[in-house]
Amino acid sequence: MRRIFGADARATPLVVNADTVYRIVRTDSLLGFAVVREVRGKDQPITFLVATDSTDRLKDIDILVYREPYGGEVAYDAWRRQFRGKSADDKLEVGRDIRSISGATISVNAVTLGVRRALSDLTAWHRSGAIK
Amino acid sequence: MSCRSLYVCALLCLVALPAVAQESTTIGGYGEVHYTNRSGRNTPAEVNLRRFVVYLAHTFNDKLAFRSELEVEDAKIEGGSAGGEVAMEQAFLDYRLSSRVTLRTGLVLPPVGIINEVHEPPAFNGVDRPAFDHDVIPTTWRELGVGIVGTLPLAEGLSYRLYLVNGLRAGGFSDAEGIRAGRQEGREASFANPSLTGRLEWVRPGLRLGGSFWYGGTTAGDTLLGTESFDAPVTVLSADGRYETSGLSLRGVVATVGVGDAQQVNALYGSAVGSRISGGYLEGAYDLLRFMAPHTTQKLNAFVRHERYDTQAEVPTGTTRNAEFARRITTLGLAYKPTWNTVFKGDYEVRRTAAGTAEGETVRFGMGYQF
Repeated sequence: MRRIFGADARATPLVVNADTVYRIVRTDSLLGFAVVREVRGKDQPITFLVATDSTDRLKDIDILVYREPYGGEVAYDAWRRQFRGKSADDKLEVGRDIRSISGATISVNAVTLGVRRALSDLTAWHRSGAIK
Repeated sequence: MSCRSLYVCALLCLVALPAVAQESTTIGGYGEVHYTNRSGRNTPAEVNLRRFVVYLAHTFNDKLAFRSELEVEDAKIEGGSAGGEVAMEQAFLDYRLSSRVTLRTGLVLPPVGIINEVHEPPAFNGVDRPAFDHDVIPTTWRELGVGIVGTLPLAEGLSYRLYLVNGLRAGGFSDAEGIRAGRQEGREASFANPSLTGRLEWVRPGLRLGGSFWYGGTTAGDTLLGTESFDAPVTVLSADGRYETSGLSLRGVVATVGVGDAQQVNALYGSAVGSRISGGYLEGAYDLLRFMAPHTTQKLNAFVRHERYDTQAEVPTGTTRNAEFARRITTLGLAYKPTWNTVFKGDYEVRRTAAGTAEGETVRFGMGYQF
């Protein structure tokens, strides 16, 4: 894995409340955290990753596995980048600070809700010292 | 964290995921109730459980999934009385070859226009679907066949669907509703006229543009109309767009339907179908709660839609054009959405024709849901 990933960033799994959180470090400095979650789309799970930086700002999200024939536009960078820089204090609501994708309403709502929860959890755990 | 390390992390996490999706069954549905009051004497209002649809899907593994919709229209069917329908709207098996290609087999929706594929009541303004999506694009249009759906690597946001399905049946074509009653809808359908239908779509956040087509013969095995697969061909070309930004949403569709050999069709079946059916609509909506209640996630869309279409835009020799079929329909109303998947609607429709007859106004209220 080190050969693939390079030596400068390392991800260490931590278990918090039955969730696996990845702690990301480069040499000795903390870069942030990441968690993998699933939400249900129309009838299949959508597997996504939420990564935060060391100040609990959302670094990026990634759609790891999208299984349904429609709504896959949530994996596009043009949609995902709206989440970058958000914090747990932001609303993260479709039609407000997150633009919808017409014709992909179910996936957009499901992923946005999932990201909001993941960001809120990561932030709470980091602030409480459950992850550090 | 750099992009690279995020990638690292993504890969790490993937390793930790179970490789095979669990076999599972999903139940969903949608439905709508309508109150309709047409202008004029002796036209009392009517209430109707317009649609009740059960969505049933099953995931067999990571690659195979079945999806279906079973619909009851107008609440019930009863022997000896007209109206009502129990019908399959969709029933297909998807085989996911890769993230870019899925094979599909079964009762599928020709991907033409907006409403035919996305017809759940919270997904459109207005109590009723646009009349254009009844008389020009015969929604809900479903036929049996095979095809592929997926995304194209040329640019982010490009996707396609392409199906080979059974053809239309010219014997059902009419002056008022064009090709609508020519659909075979999966019931002992003639496969005399394999037909092609497809769509290309380009998507950005807030924007979706699409272009669709249908091409195929319509003899349905009637040798009096033709003996070749592509005899009496119907060609449908359509373009549509949807745009949403900060409370404002716009959508529009145009389509043109060419009925080849319309003269023979009309002579043979005693009908008066146009050789060209064409038109479109434009709709604009604004979410009033943006002003009235900036913190809510509910929506109150005020909308106006203008449709113009003619099911006899051109007629073949021997058929007299009826100006009543050149329609202009304007609908304005409100759609209140407590959640993205529930809606209460009310609207006022003004219907005009080039003939000045068969006109009228209609008030409608409705409730709709999907889950």
